Amino acid sequence: MTDQAPVSRVLIIGAGIAGMQAALDVANAGYDVLLVDRLSSIGGRMAQLSETFPTLDCAQCILTPRTVEVGHHEHIHLYTYSEVEAVEGEIGDFRVRIRRHATYVDWDKCTGCGFCQEKCPRKVDSDFERYMGKRKAIYTLSPQAVPNKPVIDRENCTFFQRGKCKVCERFCPVGAIDYEQEDTVVEERVGAIIVATGYDLYGLEHMPEYGGGRIPDVIDGLAFERLLSASGPTAGKIKRPSDGEEPREVVFIQCAGSRDPEKHLSYCSKVCCMYTAKQATLYRHRVHEGQTYIFYIDIRAAGKRYDEFTQRAMEDEQVIYLRGKVSRVFQRDGKVMVWGADTLSGQQVQIAADMVVVAPAFLPRPATNPLAEMLGLRQDEHGWLLPRESNIHPVETGRPGMFLAGTGIGPMDIPEAVSHASGAAAQVLKLFSRWSEREREEEQ
Amino acid sequence: MARIGVFICHCGLNIAGTVDVEQVADVLRDYPGVAFATDYKYMCSEPGQELIQQAIHEQNLDGVVVAACSPAMHETTFRKTAAAAGLNAYRVEIANIREQVSWPHQKEPEEATRKAIATVRSVVEKARYDDPLSPFVLPLVRRALVVGGGIAGLTAALEIAEAGYPVILVERSDRLGGRMAQLSRLYLDFDDSENLLEERIEAVPHHPLIQVLTSAEVTDFGGYVGNFTVEVSGSRSQVPSSPNLKLETLKPETQCFDVGAVILATGYDLYPQTKLPEYGGGRYPDVMDGLQFEAMLKAGEVHRPSDGSVPREIVWIQCAGSRDPMLHQPYCSKICCMYVAKQASAYRRVVPEGQAYVFYIDIRSQGRGYDEFVQQAMEELGVVYLRGKASRIIERDGRLEVWGSDTLSGQAVRIGADLVVLAMAAVPSADSDVLARLLRVATDESGFFAEAHPKLRPVESPTAGVYLAGAAQFPKDIPETVAQASGAAAKVLQLFAQREMVAEPTVAVVDEELCSGCGRCVAACPYDARELHPWKEVATVNAALCQSCGACAVACQNKATVIRNLAPEQVLAMVEAMLA
Repeated sequence: MTDQAPVSRVLIIGAGIAGMQAALDVANAGYDVLLVDRLSSIGGRMAQLSETFPTLDCAQCILTPRTVEVGHHEHIHLYTYSEVEAVEGEIGDFRVRIRRHATYVDWDKCTGCGFCQEKCPRKVDSDFERYMGKRKAIYTLSPQAVPNKPVIDRENCTFFQRGKCKVCERFCPVGAIDYEQEDTVVEERVGAIIVATGYDLYGLEHMPEYGGGRIPDVIDGLAFERLLSASGPTAGKIKRPSDGEEPREVVFIQCAGSRDPEKHLSYCSKVCCMYTAKQATLYRHRVHEGQTYIFYIDIRAAGKRYDEFTQRAMEDEQVIYLRGKVSRVFQRDGKVMVWGADTLSGQQVQIAADMVVVAPAFLPRPATNPLAEMLGLRQDEHGWLLPRESNIHPVETGRPGMFLAGTGIGPMDIPEAVSHASGAAAQVLKLFSRWSEREREEEQ
Repeated sequence: MARIGVFICHCGLNIAGTVDVEQVADVLRDYPGVAFATDYKYMCSEPGQELIQQAIHEQNLDGVVVAACSPAMHETTFRKTAAAAGLNAYRVEIANIREQVSWPHQKEPEEATRKAIATVRSVVEKARYDDPLSPFVLPLVRRALVVGGGIAGLTAALEIAEAGYPVILVERSDRLGGRMAQLSRLYLDFDDSENLLEERIEAVPHHPLIQVLTSAEVTDFGGYVGNFTVEVSGSRSQVPSSPNLKLETLKPETQCFDVGAVILATGYDLYPQTKLPEYGGGRYPDVMDGLQFEAMLKAGEVHRPSDGSVPREIVWIQCAGSRDPMLHQPYCSKICCMYVAKQASAYRRVVPEGQAYVFYIDIRSQGRGYDEFVQQAMEELGVVYLRGKASRIIERDGRLEVWGSDTLSGQAVRIGADLVVLAMAAVPSADSDVLARLLRVATDESGFFAEAHPKLRPVESPTAGVYLAGAAQFPKDIPETVAQASGAAAKVLQLFAQREMVAEPTVAVVDEELCSGCGRCVAACPYDARELHPWKEVATVNAALCQSCGACAVACQNKATVIRNLAPEQVLAMVEAMLA
């Protein structure tokens, strides 16, 4: 450690539910937090979810108080639309360079009124909506975004691409649009770092057996979350992408890319069994006469009231569970044909479905690799971040002062990610509390 | 005239899908005392909260009613919002039109809208009479109590002590380590459990800020967050003097401590074999539970208890008492799939010529590396997995026979076995119900401690100042237990970092002019919050313990006791508005 007193301030990379929880735990104890996220607003994957198992609480309803609390917290400084570019130093004295990408909107002036988004003529497929809906070239991720400030997507902005338009500038009542804005780079000192980078889904394009992403009515689990969400592109109505019709038969395919060491990924993605049971249940709440089928290998419902939840899906919602792998998915006469095996009856199964929802394997975020290299953190062969020792040091890394939270270390569900994040926060609080104690002693 | 603002939340479609929110706003706009009424998609979102703040300023509001979800969800949110805009937080009221209106009346939207209007009007009446209040400031004891000396309790205690706060660790048995001390090597890497555990067991009693009490139990408990008093009966311990992890104990005694926070880390027990007569009900010497098999592996030898011979065929039966809502526990015990795969793998390594069979319903090996571990047991170590329930175990000619079905082949199977290991359901540890009652913490339907919110507050109990760690909340494996224990410690560290404790002012108060000191309120109070004053002939209220239930206000014959902001005239006005 340097001669300077250690800095009781933490950098948290990733502002999903894990990063936010860790930030609140540290900030509520009175220490400063720098919370960095690549996206323009906080909330991460959880902001994309509809309702959560096993209580069916709406994700927005339980998440928004958190995002608002984080957004308003006197000890949390948000760096959204930003990335950590360099980290040097060691525990107590890390020097961090954060690049804040140009948003082309002066966020100090912007009131979040939303006129620019309403008036912008350019519509783009929305990544947040998992391509189930559109956004504008100037956009926020959702109307509940924190911070509720838009960014201009330069690649798709008519002005940036063709030199003409400036509709947003014309309609902005406070003159916040700034086409000249550039990236800014900030240097900060922190004493500890928590990495909470989260997960991605294995792409459908890797799975030709399920149509390889070319069949419009074969979508992934997150896309179906957006269809189920009241604030999603269909306002919670279940409409299939090809023709907007309400699907009457929906097939869910679990372990898509998971538990398949030969062709795809060897591990179990842990959360798909529960979210699929939930999605089938919610679909039946929306489409009472609809029929659902779930292909599974094992039903992994291990958690408080989880097994009971899947039992209710079977018994109360009449979801049909088929134990077996799907061998082929293809289009025929406006239907999506699903061929598979039911290993319990030993029969081949062919279902003419209106829509197929696959539960793809979890992957670490692609940005995890360069970040791990920069921070000197170990990863496994799939890129998941590794703790120092997995049994009794699950949130510590091999580097003093750096800790892990949430799905960056492997698939886990929300309560586990939240517990884990609080665990990481405890490590930071321990350090800071000791450092401030030492400072007090030195003062006396 | 009051100037109350009414804000109707759509909650996405949760409310607006059933209730005509615009109509509710229109009707309320003309209600006496309402200065402003509007509706919005998510009132709890940042723009929603800004809408409220703007209206407070622009309309000069003196009260706010938010018609939305249950006050348990967002009362605090909206009170903070209003306070930030300069309105007293206790002049903000929530009208619950989601849990109490839109959700139960989904099929009758017109009725729901009518009920929503009546509900909001009634809450406007409450807001009209609300007094501006300020929270109480209470002292905060920066010392924690940890109940349970297993890996969860040890971890939590160390985290808190290492941050500089004293901890009392109470362990019922005469040694630290809990269930983990009974385990052999751990999945996934066959790491030595004892080495890992020793790191913590050594550190805890040596820590100058941790006082360990073994063979000790919590026998009395009172107080409130920041100021609990706890009585512990048992013995004071010394640092370990021998390598067998046992702590030397002194004479039994009873001690009292003041603590500000409590972590419950009381762990789990196994469901008793006697409950499963189909598997012998504990009568067969060669049928044992998972922990008994761990003890053999730990000792480095696997043998049959009946005759000491090395078993050549072992059958594991998973879900013994779990996932059986008709007869036993309805839940999945979460940890058995992995430890059975580990035990079968370890057995095959110790006895390479032995054969291992596992009966399972689903194999639940979730998370990084877990599925691969089970695959390795099957493929490399030749463990035979049979998908089905074992229906019976019978003893014949000194050997066991397991009858079951293999649902994949559709065949009934009978497997001769030298030893059978039952992966018994994990249940709350004995007497955790007694502890729950003593500490007034909630338990779930299976007796595990209840968490404050299943998704977002997994390490907090609903009782302020009491936190949960490890399998006492629900079965979980070591990495998850340790992460959660650290998480519980984080909550304690947060609490101890506060300069002062604040408590809600909406509690019972006594008008001493009217009070006759009859003591009916003291008898009525379920929270020990009411007492008679030692010399004045009046009753008093301990504001920190009062939960505003109103039992004392009802019991009071003289109307001397009222709950602040729930005065009789307020409640009557609410009822009238509801009936109008």
